[in-house]
Amino acid sequence: MIQTSSIPTSICLALATLAVLASSFVRAQDDVPDRLDLTNFPGEIVDKVVVPIPVEIFSVLDKLGELEWGNGISIPENEPQTTERAILALTFGSLVGEGFIAVQAKDQEKIQKVGHLVLNLSESLGLASAVRPHSLGIIEAADLRDWERVRQELDNTQQTVRETMERLRDDELSGLVSLGGWLRGTHVVTVFISEAYSEDKAELLNQPGLISHFREELASMTGPSKSSSEIRAISTGLARLEGVITDEETISEEDINELREISQTMLEEFYFGTEEAAN
Amino acid sequence: MILEKRSNKLFRLIASGLLTAVCLLVAAKLYAFVNEAISLALEAATPYVEQGFEVREDNWSGQVEPKKPLLVRHQLFRGNEYWFWAGTSWPGASVRVDVFDSSGNSVGLESFAEKSHAGVRVLPQKTATYYIRMVAEYDPEKAANEARAAGVIPAADGVGEFGATVDWGLVYGYR
Repeated sequence: MIQTSSIPTSICLALATLAVLASSFVRAQDDVPDRLDLTNFPGEIVDKVVVPIPVEIFSVLDKLGELEWGNGISIPENEPQTTERAILALTFGSLVGEGFIAVQAKDQEKIQKVGHLVLNLSESLGLASAVRPHSLGIIEAADLRDWERVRQELDNTQQTVRETMERLRDDELSGLVSLGGWLRGTHVVTVFISEAYSEDKAELLNQPGLISHFREELASMTGPSKSSSEIRAISTGLARLEGVITDEETISEEDINELREISQTMLEEFYFGTEEAAN
Repeated sequence: MILEKRSNKLFRLIASGLLTAVCLLVAAKLYAFVNEAISLALEAATPYVEQGFEVREDNWSGQVEPKKPLLVRHQLFRGNEYWFWAGTSWPGASVRVDVFDSSGNSVGLESFAEKSHAGVRVLPQKTATYYIRMVAEYDPEKAANEARAAGVIPAADGVGEFGATVDWGLVYGYR
């Protein structure tokens, strides 16, 4: 008796809850148009592009299957032998990207090595005082195996360096830090996808907007670095990537192999030594 | 003659030093002001961090005329879940935020809009560039009420004197 009377009550309660939730959802969405004419937007389009950090893609790859992230780590043997700030900025970004790979692998030793290299590189860039607290934070969090904090400190490191560069009117360098990180992340993603291809994984590389943004940034560079062989090679590489990634088509296994080869060639310009290139 | 030249040089040096200091102060004040909108957006994000969302350090911010929509382009990945949170610190101002795909279809699954902050949740069906639309509103009556509640006299303190734009900040998190 109690049971039969409690069923309709619970259903009523559930329906009432759903109705309240639905009405609050509708209220919150009341002013949202169903469609937006993006070709004729009646407002202001914000110029700033926030480049996703590699771990945003890594987390999806992890959901699609177990990966041996440790095999993806490739910390350069030697520190950069250049004083060219554009190359140092690219390398800095890639090292932060390397840190994200090491976090996925939960490799304390490699994370701490990245933390030290990041600090050394920031000294070459004249930004050591801004980076030191984050670098120490990376090392400390890795020691505690606090992976979430390591990720946050890596993101903080990149952001601090970019903001400091922008304050010093080094916007070009700030963009190169993002490009270096994106490129390192993209390369390791192509390596893993080429080992076990699926359309779902390949779709993660559908980023024509970001490639176009990086191409525009390199094209708008005005300093002497623009004509350096490394920057010219990276510009060419981005143009090749853009040729493979088109918004409308599925990225095939052949495309993935091509993207892997292109991104590797680009990283060899400033990050990987030729020894790593052979691996 | 030499003394006069030296004092002129000293004057120019002090004047340029003062000008630089004023510029830095203004820039610092403006930076702090913009950061307050980001702080409010981050405040809105706090409960979601406990649910496993990782909030990015990088963000968008600036000044905008009320009712003039802003459009931010951003790359999203299918397989992740996202929240975008917007905030404004201007008294009497409020914000709304929603997300559209590259065809212009609204894709927000859940949203809220409270006085100084708002949020929208997205589960992208495709890895692509998405468009985040943010609109700020300004209500002078609300601004006056807020000022009264805070115990300030708008005319005397300069609070509530609306200067055509309000600040805004936008952050996002993923899991």
